[in-house]
Amino acid sequence: MPGVMVFLCRCCGRIPPTVDLSALGEKIDREEGVVAVETRDTICLPEDRAAMLRSFEAGGADRILVAACSPYGKADDVVAKLSAACGGDRSRVRLVDIREGCAWIHRRDPVGATAKAGDLIGMNLGFLRHGKCSADAVVAVRPECMVVGAGSAGMAAALSIARAGHRVHLVERGAGMGGMLKLLSHVYPTDAGAEEKLKPSLQAISAQPLITLHAKTRVAAATGYAGDFKIRLASGTEETNLHVGAVILATGAGVWLPRGLYRYGELKGVLTLMELERRRKEGEETPRRSVFIQCVGARCPERPYCATFCCPSSIKNAALIKKEDPGAEVTILHRDIMTPGAILERYYRSALEAGVRFIRFAADAPPVVSGEGKVDSVAVFDTISGVKREIAADQVILSTPLVANADNTKLAELFHIGIDRYGFFREDYPLHPLETRQAGVFICGSARWPVASGDAAAQGEGAAMKALAILGRERLSARSLSRLPEGKLGHARIEDAFCSGCGNCVAVCPYEACALQKVGGIFVSRVNKMRCRACGSCTSVCPNGTIQMPEHNARAVGAMIRRAFSLREAR
Amino acid sequence: MLPVLIEGGGTAGITAALDLAAAGCRVHLIERSNHLGGQVLNLDKIYPTDHCAFCPLWTDIRRLQADPRVTVHLSSQIESLVETEEGSLATIRTTPPFIAPERCIGCGACFDVCAPGAVKPPGEHVYPPSFRIDNDLCNRCGSCVGICPSAAIDLARKEERKTLKVGQVIRAAGFAEADLKPLPEFGYGLHPDIMTSLEFEAWTAEAGPNNGGIVRKSGGGRPANIAFIQCSGARDDRLLPWCSAVCCMHALKQSSWVKRRDPGIDCCIFYTDLRTVGRDYYAYSRQAVDKAGVRRVRGRPGLVHPLPDGGIAVKFEDTLTQKREIRRFDMVVLNGNLRPSAADRYESGMEPPAEACGFAAEPADVAQSAWQGSATAMKALSCDKEGPCRA
Repeated sequence: MPGVMVFLCRCCGRIPPTVDLSALGEKIDREEGVVAVETRDTICLPEDRAAMLRSFEAGGADRILVAACSPYGKADDVVAKLSAACGGDRSRVRLVDIREGCAWIHRRDPVGATAKAGDLIGMNLGFLRHGKCSADAVVAVRPECMVVGAGSAGMAAALSIARAGHRVHLVERGAGMGGMLKLLSHVYPTDAGAEEKLKPSLQAISAQPLITLHAKTRVAAATGYAGDFKIRLASGTEETNLHVGAVILATGAGVWLPRGLYRYGELKGVLTLMELERRRKEGEETPRRSVFIQCVGARCPERPYCATFCCPSSIKNAALIKKEDPGAEVTILHRDIMTPGAILERYYRSALEAGVRFIRFAADAPPVVSGEGKVDSVAVFDTISGVKREIAADQVILSTPLVANADNTKLAELFHIGIDRYGFFREDYPLHPLETRQAGVFICGSARWPVASGDAAAQGEGAAMKALAILGRERLSARSLSRLPEGKLGHARIEDAFCSGCGNCVAVCPYEACALQKVGGIFVSRVNKMRCRACGSCTSVCPNGTIQMPEHNARAVGAMIRRAFSLREAR
Repeated sequence: MLPVLIEGGGTAGITAALDLAAAGCRVHLIERSNHLGGQVLNLDKIYPTDHCAFCPLWTDIRRLQADPRVTVHLSSQIESLVETEEGSLATIRTTPPFIAPERCIGCGACFDVCAPGAVKPPGEHVYPPSFRIDNDLCNRCGSCVGICPSAAIDLARKEERKTLKVGQVIRAAGFAEADLKPLPEFGYGLHPDIMTSLEFEAWTAEAGPNNGGIVRKSGGGRPANIAFIQCSGARDDRLLPWCSAVCCMHALKQSSWVKRRDPGIDCCIFYTDLRTVGRDYYAYSRQAVDKAGVRRVRGRPGLVHPLPDGGIAVKFEDTLTQKREIRRFDMVVLNGNLRPSAADRYESGMEPPAEACGFAAEPADVAQSAWQGSATAMKALSCDKEGPCRA
């Protein structure tokens, strides 16, 4: 018969006298399953913690209840350490808040505070009687990584992982590496040539024996979880199977074409920013008078976002044109100049100093491009000086946003990760921007959100760093994937005999950890322990209570509720 | 490989430390204050999710504290760093706080007896919570020492120095608020209701002194209107010549939370360019303007000055209508005076120093700081001569 050791903390006299600990101790001692009650002075101090462990080990109990402060005080740390004494089984240690929630808030009602503390402890004793621990799952880690997309982000990620000594499969949809950088003439804010920027990475990758490039290849199928993904690649009719421990998605973004806007496609001399980049890369002469129009197809109802890179890119081209030919007339028409930070702001100023003219227009009064056959002027209402201006132009450059790749939807489905309303991969939380809903799947670069090539490469390195945490281990346990220091709160467990195969849990699981499988001719649900994050959504929709979280099972929670309402416990 | 030295225990530093530890590296994390978390702890909500950042940060901090590979040095600074052939020797100066955080039980007995008001309660999002003593206000009377039930207070605590042998160094010391004195036109310090945006955040925080209520600091009345002045101190050669990157979204967040709590308060953002470049940031600004009714005026006020009746006059030109106006506001929030700690290192260049990340390197928000922390961790790992270690 298991027993519970109860520790009551005096908190240096900050819990009594409001809560009468001796009366409370006597009352608890009579509760079912309590082996001993011990009152300690300050459980959070190291000297007391060591004494607690000694008493627990001598006491013959196998579960611990600590009545002290709230988890946001210090007791949670104590509980984490105590659970180590219970074999790391968190379900065998309970923390009850009798300080903030009893002694402090009910300072004027000591009798009530003591009664409340007794009730809370009683409820948690009920919980402890039925708490169970789910067995951890451990997988052997496949020390290889797949990186999808060989642009700035993907190349940086692949190189970082290979340098750390792991094999990398670099999967690229196109013919070669380089991604968006191949389309650019220069990169901001250093104004380095894109080719020179690209060269060292290309050389390093071809010299790196641990990187295998799969060009003209797409991901056709994927199964598995962190540490153990099985992937099928398709290149034409040819198929390759990969077995990797982590996946980095760096598929980049696409360019949006402004069909029907500003007479694009109709007038000669109206081109997109990317077309200007190509012309300049190929060494075509730039005409004397250039007008850039910002936010073409961005920050509008169809694409209500700022694509980050277009303002600095236009500034880069405008300033370079001006520096090459000081007599050139270069104007940027904008709604807001988006150059956040120290470096980009300095970059913006250097363009102003180079003589680039900036004119602000309002979203509801966009510039008008005119000409016959060929562009000859742009009319714009300058909101700052309040006058209408007619600017002669030989070419008009439309700054269009980056848009998400159409492939993203399929990749997101294959790897069970989220995408945002614009089709970019999305992180779980801003504080963890390279991690997704699925452990072992990381995102970076413009596939996540439009970024400059330098930032994309940095994100690629960051994603590689996250992947190394998995690849560097021989074995990976489900518990270690949790963000909680004491491991996660277990995972859902299903009893086959009662599962009706209704699929409610499959529909509701946000991590796609539940799946229906045919066992003996009928469908039953199965939980993937590496994916389950113990949210408990499945348990609330299971019609016959088959799926349970062992750490928070229905009997344990039921015992708490019955005790709270003084009902007899079900047997 | 030798341990990595990380300066700064904010978002970037914590992320870098956790990532390196997960990859098997030993880490020394140096934090100036007596707790981990950095500036995020000062934020009531973070954009664009409008969540409180406490829970994810709290779990990260606890993970860090539980990791045997990470040594956290609180209340410490890097005094010197000498490069030798086998790694660098870092001298760490630790000024132990008068109240030891590991012994403080948060009862507040010292706070109740402190006559000069030197004892400060822990910030609402600080974990583990610990009271602290302001060295400048403390008169060393010692009344708190005897009353402390857990013997956490020692006013005789002396500075300590230790030398650590480290390999790579990561600078992630974040930012500090720059003094607005060089810009007298913003009237900072002339009126209690002219505050910086971090002061406004603390004043209106849900866990703050007013439980999320929007009230004036002078007199506690309900403000009829609030002006948010962008680029105050930033994009200004007299103080900070750059854009502080986070303030536009910060003002949009604060103003929409003011509207959410009290829709009757008129909020007006004075901006130059409303910079909303991250995921969902532009949608967030549309939400604030179109749905919540936050007003925008393009222009930078030329004068902010207290009025005899307790109000604040703001003189500005709306550059879109070319109208000059003086309007009365009840509160003024100044946004922009954030100085990166490594700013002096890149005064002229177009790239931040490779070893710096987060706001220390470049004005950066929470998400940017986090991915930069990971990226810099990766750089530290690949730069190490002995190569990365296995977990």
